[in-house]
Amino acid sequence: MLLSIGHLIFYAYVKYIREDYCMQLQLKNLCKQYGTKCAVNHVNASLSPGVYGLLGANGAGKTTLMRMICGILKPSSGSICLNGKSIEELGERYYSHLGYMPQDFGFYPDFTAREFMLYMAAVKGLDAKTAKQRTEHLLHMVNLQDVANKKVKSYSGGMKQRLGIAQAELNHPSILILDEPTAGLDPKERVRFRNLISDFAKEKIVILSTHIVSDVSYIADYILMMKSGQFLLGEPMETVTDHIKGKVWEILIDNREVSKYSRDFSVVNLHHENNMVRLRIVSDTTPAADAITVEPSLEDLFLYHFGEDAQSERSDDYVD
Amino acid sequence: MLIKYEFIKILRKKSTMIVMAVSLLLTAFLFGLPILQYQTYNINGVLKGSEGIAYTKDQYKDVSVPITDEYVEKTITEYQKLFENPDNVGYDGSEKFLIGNAYWSFVAPREKQLGMIASAYDSPDENSGFNKLPELDLTNGAKFYQARNEKVESLLNTPSRELSAKQKEYWSNMSSKVETPLQYGYHEGWEIIMSSFELLMFALLAVCIVIAPVFSGEYQTGTDAVILSGKYGKTKLATAKIISSMLFGILAFTLHVIVAFGLPLAAFGTDGYILPLQIAGITIPYPFTFLQATLINLGVIYLVLLAMIGLTLLLSAKMKSPYLVLVVLVPVLFIPLFLSPNGTTGAYNLTLFLLPYRSVMPEIGKYISYQIGGLVLDALSMRAILYTILTAVMLPLARLGFKKHQVA
Repeated sequence: MLLSIGHLIFYAYVKYIREDYCMQLQLKNLCKQYGTKCAVNHVNASLSPGVYGLLGANGAGKTTLMRMICGILKPSSGSICLNGKSIEELGERYYSHLGYMPQDFGFYPDFTAREFMLYMAAVKGLDAKTAKQRTEHLLHMVNLQDVANKKVKSYSGGMKQRLGIAQAELNHPSILILDEPTAGLDPKERVRFRNLISDFAKEKIVILSTHIVSDVSYIADYILMMKSGQFLLGEPMETVTDHIKGKVWEILIDNREVSKYSRDFSVVNLHHENNMVRLRIVSDTTPAADAITVEPSLEDLFLYHFGEDAQSERSDDYVD
Repeated sequence: MLIKYEFIKILRKKSTMIVMAVSLLLTAFLFGLPILQYQTYNINGVLKGSEGIAYTKDQYKDVSVPITDEYVEKTITEYQKLFENPDNVGYDGSEKFLIGNAYWSFVAPREKQLGMIASAYDSPDENSGFNKLPELDLTNGAKFYQARNEKVESLLNTPSRELSAKQKEYWSNMSSKVETPLQYGYHEGWEIIMSSFELLMFALLAVCIVIAPVFSGEYQTGTDAVILSGKYGKTKLATAKIISSMLFGILAFTLHVIVAFGLPLAAFGTDGYILPLQIAGITIPYPFTFLQATLINLGVIYLVLLAMIGLTLLLSAKMKSPYLVLVVLVPVLFIPLFLSPNGTTGAYNLTLFLLPYRSVMPEIGKYISYQIGGLVLDALSMRAILYTILTAVMLPLARLGFKKHQVA
């Protein structure tokens, strides 16, 4: 009798571990309609542990999709399932797996960082002892331990972002959703943030939304590209650029020809070399007889699919 | 733990402190006004403030007696005797009254008591002051309580009141439970409280202002996304927000009540808490003392408070900004201030007496009753039931509103 109870507990534990390890987050025919506008349009995906870089221009539907995955926005149709069970059915059990850092989310200005973390730990259902341990550990990890007793309203944008990711990680989530976590950060902060995400990402489903391509190129295992509410492609990082192999060109031209090429082609990069200019172009056809094909990058892929939208986003990034 | 943090969130806001400080000061000012404005007269002139209060208290010593028929008869007889001497009588063109020493030695110390005695002999639509006393026929005794009962009966039978037989029976029964003889005495502090309950509306509004952002503040600042995706975001957190709001509301309101009641009772004294309400209004049907009536009405006000907190939380859960919550809430609380009852019956009046502003007023002498089938409820009971039901309905709806909130 004792043996069989022991077996049951063991199998239950193994099942729990396996469920977590073999976790599958399924998006089934997911749609979100706002009036006549379709923000997310029949999205299907099955996500297992790994870092997913969700790329798309502003308004592509990334944030809407993430909110639906986080269960804070109801899909117009379709469903989200974790290991075959819908998230509505799972309720608190689903949310206990979840860590979410929304874009531009607010804080309680009169709370200190430590109080905010302890409050979020309570919301996430952590017991008092674990809450304290996790709070101190994470504040240390995001390098906020020295200012943990200062009110959040006195924090810089970067510090708030770090606090944001720390709270998302409080409950050891197995699904971590990060919506534009590096937006508004300076390059140094962005590097620091990428490293933090990499540290947190182990054995988790991490969905990282951004329109800053370089951020995901370092840490993503998979790339999901979204346009007009739909997935344009979903590929492992290593092979995602294969689609545009032979479509990325470099050409050395005279300074006076730059405007002509910029008008006719998608120019990814422009580099002055003495009196000449080296252009990097994404194009289905050869832009010039002397153009040579080069190894495509994620940024080339982004530009290939988003064209003008991407160009404007790149200039936004520069402003950032 | 969540309740503690939600409570801290309410308390920490600068706006909470400002609203509470302003409303406490306003309450203190409004309830302190009768103290500042209090004045009475003696033969030498006006006595103001604490001097006036002390003089009034002293005057009551001789008239703090049980109001027996014999006492009433003796008092009226004495009044009539004084009136027989033309030197004691003044005339202002419309009515006669005692003057000079007769006034200062006999009327002045018992002016309110004489008014109460005289009112028993008035018809329901009459307020003759002491005018009837000189002509009152005392051949068969004063029959003071008989006169009171007859007045109550005639009040109940006034056609404009449109009371059903059941309602008349209800009020007659209640009125018959008033213990006689009435004990008379000093009760100034309690009378001020009984007539100033509506001033607590500002405290009620202050509580609602403070808790208006409990849910909508999360939507406004964008913290909704992160808390609603937490394990307890849609369940225990919503409950914790409701409990902490209730807790804050009750504590903050109690603080206001302490100030509101504390000031008049500290200045005028707590004397009279055990005296019957009828010494302030002879036809009041409720068989309560001043303290009982105050506590019962206060109980009703707390139920109004809870329902208003419920309404505020419901609006807060449904609206995107605390300002929108207040745009709806303030008219609900204060529009009835500008609506006057034109009677005590009919849908308009009966509804008006149940609205929040009117519901904080005791209205104990108006015979306002509600009949549901064979069941008759007085205004206090009806308000208690109505606001309990509203609280019970609105709180779960507020919780559901937050749970169903879509972060868009």
